Amino acid sequence: MSDITALRELRPAPPPAELEAMRMAARERFMAGAAPKRAPRRWRRPVLAGGLTTAAVAAGAVAALVLTTGPGATPGRQAAAGHSRTVVTTAWTVSEDADGTVSIYLHEYANPAGLQRALQADGVNAIVRPIPYLLETGFNNKPVVRPTCNYYVTSNDRAPLAVQGAVLTIGRRALPALFVIHPDAMPPGSALFLAFMANLPHSAGNIALKPVVLGNDAAPACVPVPAKRPGQSAPTPAAKAGNPAPSSLPKAA
Amino acid sequence: MSIDTRASDAELIVRSLTEPDLFTAVFDRHSTEILRYVYARLGPDLAEDVTAETFLAAFRCRGKYDGAWPDARPWLYGIAMRQISRHRRVEERRLRVLRSAPADGPTEDHSDRAAERVTAQRLGPRLAAALTALPKQDRELLLLVAWAELSYAEAATALGTTTSAVKSRLHRIRVRMRHELGDEYPVNEENDDE
Repeated sequence: MSDITALRELRPAPPPAELEAMRMAARERFMAGAAPKRAPRRWRRPVLAGGLTTAAVAAGAVAALVLTTGPGATPGRQAAAGHSRTVVTTAWTVSEDADGTVSIYLHEYANPAGLQRALQADGVNAIVRPIPYLLETGFNNKPVVRPTCNYYVTSNDRAPLAVQGAVLTIGRRALPALFVIHPDAMPPGSALFLAFMANLPHSAGNIALKPVVLGNDAAPACVPVPAKRPGQSAPTPAAKAGNPAPSSLPKAA
Repeated sequence: MSIDTRASDAELIVRSLTEPDLFTAVFDRHSTEILRYVYARLGPDLAEDVTAETFLAAFRCRGKYDGAWPDARPWLYGIAMRQISRHRRVEERRLRVLRSAPADGPTEDHSDRAAERVTAQRLGPRLAAALTALPKQDRELLLLVAWAELSYAEAATALGTTTSAVKSRLHRIRVRMRHELGDEYPVNEENDDE
């Protein structure tokens, strides 16, 4: 055996199902990125609590500022017309720019209901759902997370790819994540869908679905995930229910 | 938009300058292979993102594609390589893991291959250590040939060099690998490449 053959034998390879799921997700991201863009826009990191006051005074651009803290924080009211508005919690920041774009800056996954309210206050028809989960103890006492139900967004549920690209720009998926929404590009009746496991312990990681624009504002059902018996791989709930293969799989952020 | 399934990559890429949707066919043809390569280099956390970025970068610079190459794979691997190089620390971490444990490789279990796998797994940690010790550009070339399974000519296209330069560099790299691994290493000079 040659060195080249030995290296080939050692090439790490994913299971076929995982490979295909990753390929589909990469395809979606490629399509969204390759779709014609609206007016080019520079990335602007939302202002966080530390520099908030200084930035507001210096720029003089924030007419009304909603600053709340804690995962249970409630978003405040709409700012004066033509000005930006920012809602800050310890978990995330939602910032509406004067041009109407809305930036979501997530530094942890928490308070989905508050995030939904903040987005809706900024004119984004958003559906934000927690993914229920169980925490179990695995090898070496490490926490193992198991969703008790999950959301499967099929291609029938999604808005067309051109709409995805026009509405949603994914700046970064891993935490701290950054998503930019263009609410005025959302067709009537469409909705932005976000789902994540809220308040996971740090050691368990972060698990969230990729944000997606739904063609209508009916929230997908959370399909129960059957418990996996030792030594047996559980069928996917979508397959069990006779649905098409899930096009959006949970991903560790 | 109509996609001729027999059209070469070059034809699709040239036509995609006026019909951008045609580039999707290039993605569909080659994304599995590129994803596999990125996965092998960077692992599951970055594979999806880096693959998407590779094709987006390819899409954006498709105007510079040399239509004389009917097969876009070497060009795409060249772009993937540049995207991967942005995550060098992740790759080095991954190689450290390979050094301590054999890879989670393919599951085929034909008897000849099983024997090869046993040998490869026995050598795994040392091979990974030797890979880590290689200069970045040498590692790129070796993995383009070993993991991407590109021919010398294709690797030369991906790296923007000549086939003869690839041959001589690869020979030097393999001598070095042998030296790193010591005399026990069962290298033979079989022609793996073409």
